Amino acid sequence: MDADTALPSLAAKPKTSDSPPPRRPFSLAARAALATGFVLAAFLGVVGLTIMRTTADGARKELQDRLQNFVVAYLASTEVGRAGKVLMPDTQPDPSFLRPGSGLYAVVIGDDGFKWHSPSAMLRDFDFMHPLPPGVGQFVGPVDTRMGRLYYYIFGVSLDTSEKKSVHLTFMVAQTEDQIEGSNAVARRSVVFWLASLGVMLILLQLLLLRWSLTPLRKVANEMSRVERGEREHLGDQYPQELTGLTERINAFIASEREQRVRTRNTLADLAHSLKTPLAVIRSSLESAGESGLREPVLEQVRKMDELVAYQLARAATSGRQTFATTAIPIAGHAEDLVQSLEKVYAAKNVLCEFDIDDNAAFYGEQGDLLELMGNLLENAFKWASHRVLLVVKMRPVAGRQRPGLWLSVEDDGPGIDDDKIESVLQRGVRGDERVQGHGIGLSIVQDIIRAYGGELVVDRSPEFNGARFSVKLPPG
Amino acid sequence: MRILLVEDEAPLRETLAARLKRDGFAVDAAQDGEEGLYMGREVPFDLAIIDLGLPKMSGMDLIKALREAGQRYPILILTARGGWQDKVEGLKHGADDYLVKPFHVEELLARINALVRRASGWSKPVLACGPIKLDTTAQTVTVEGKPVDLTSYEYKVLEYLMLHAGELVSKADLTEHIYQQDFDRDSNVLEVFIGRLRRKLDPEGNLKPIETVRGRGYRFAIPRSEAEDE
Repeated sequence: MDADTALPSLAAKPKTSDSPPPRRPFSLAARAALATGFVLAAFLGVVGLTIMRTTADGARKELQDRLQNFVVAYLASTEVGRAGKVLMPDTQPDPSFLRPGSGLYAVVIGDDGFKWHSPSAMLRDFDFMHPLPPGVGQFVGPVDTRMGRLYYYIFGVSLDTSEKKSVHLTFMVAQTEDQIEGSNAVARRSVVFWLASLGVMLILLQLLLLRWSLTPLRKVANEMSRVERGEREHLGDQYPQELTGLTERINAFIASEREQRVRTRNTLADLAHSLKTPLAVIRSSLESAGESGLREPVLEQVRKMDELVAYQLARAATSGRQTFATTAIPIAGHAEDLVQSLEKVYAAKNVLCEFDIDDNAAFYGEQGDLLELMGNLLENAFKWASHRVLLVVKMRPVAGRQRPGLWLSVEDDGPGIDDDKIESVLQRGVRGDERVQGHGIGLSIVQDIIRAYGGELVVDRSPEFNGARFSVKLPPG
Repeated sequence: MRILLVEDEAPLRETLAARLKRDGFAVDAAQDGEEGLYMGREVPFDLAIIDLGLPKMSGMDLIKALREAGQRYPILILTARGGWQDKVEGLKHGADDYLVKPFHVEELLARINALVRRASGWSKPVLACGPIKLDTTAQTVTVEGKPVDLTSYEYKVLEYLMLHAGELVSKADLTEHIYQQDFDRDSNVLEVFIGRLRRKLDPEGNLKPIETVRGRGYRFAIPRSEAEDE
């Protein structure tokens, strides 16, 4: 499979275009928090207003009752003497009526210019007061006066005298606003305080609920990145009903991608087998047959076919970087296996192969690709080395990427490759040495794998051993 | 040198067997894994060539079974797939070398020689015992630098003795490893070859390279001295 046909990585890729990146839509959590915040504020505001309104109405009613009671109290203790002389009581229903400027005032006026006021109302002007017909009562307020805002209850009454005459009087009891306003403000403050506390508590609770209800989404994202890193095979099945449609489809997708890959690989391997054995028959028959005019040209064509088949098959089998690695393949064990194999094959050379491999070194891709990459590079090194080979594998983690980059180098103490030959060694299909089997193909397979994984290959001279050094850098994913 | 060849493709098996015989090897060919296992257990081979894709029993299983049965001779894998997965697995299970199909027959012969040599403890392609040097690549023998003219069978007998220099080699070993099965084992052809070898290698009779151990066999008596680099 070509790298181009591989699935695009789910991780966001940095865009290089000039236009500014589109604004990210608000997160689900932010949306829910904003929406409930607004609703809550509106709700609590209405509740608060209603409560304060009710409280204020209650206070006004209470005040009316109180002022009315004072009027009744004055009325009860007022007497009309002979010749309609009105006698006001000496005692007051409330001590505040005695203290001048206390805010609680009583005033009585009569038709004949009679005027009385409580000691508290001394020197105060109540000229806004007007007589009311008997039996009529009014509660008025607040009214702006020179004494401040006032509430008052005014009541007209007709008192009978012993001479069967009646005297018309108007009683008024007034109270300044600051007296009631004090208690009103306290009530309002406590309402605001309790409602605000309730609001904060509800918002906190809401955030907790939100966290809890978004947990499955976070779990999906988390598991998805573990699948990408190859730590998991697929997503689990413990998801709420709303998400199972999504997760099951993702799992089906992952499974079909893997299946497809396995099928391709098997088909190719079968094809390789069925093509190569007949080629082997042709070649060995020809090589064992006596000289004839046909032998050389046919052998040459067989060699070409063999190389084509080997190269194209190896290339096709290279799967490249995958979105869903089956597993992260630990490198150390495979390197050990390869080197043991090569030490067996090259036993006569007595090569000492050293490792410098990071403990956690892992390859994110197809195991076959890793084996081909390291196998071919190591085999080359063993082939050319006189006694020493060094394999270095380093991980290069990059913040914000699921998979770290990988640096891998193989060096030997052989003759090395001259600078002016490097280009031709790297050129596809060039065989440095016809006698050594599969030489050129090995290197071009390595190059194809590196290309499929978006990496780069550098060939230079080993600083330590003075032989060839092949360095592979695979980018983080 | 006796070789077991296990390959299911009849044309390849036949051409290879013919070619190996022409080069002086005794070859037993099997066409599937089970037959290969039967032969591989019964006959003392010097080397086995095993194809990985075999019917009845895979090449990998055959290698495992042979090693588990205690057979120590070198095994060379033939594989069409050519992937490192197969190579590594084969070598891990007891094979000693691999060759990817299609291969050059010359390459196969060179690998066979190297493996057999390595198995008997020689690391270089020239076997040297004192003044006698046998070049397994060129198939030539020299004594004190002078070439000695040997027939194909004489060369094979000398090669086998020198590969096992210092060890006792019975007549039965020699006949089994050098000839195809229908050879008349009772004849004294072997003594005739040994006699001729002694005269050709040591005309003056002062080296005495081949020692007769009465009633048991022969021993190449000159100790090994690894040849210097060519």
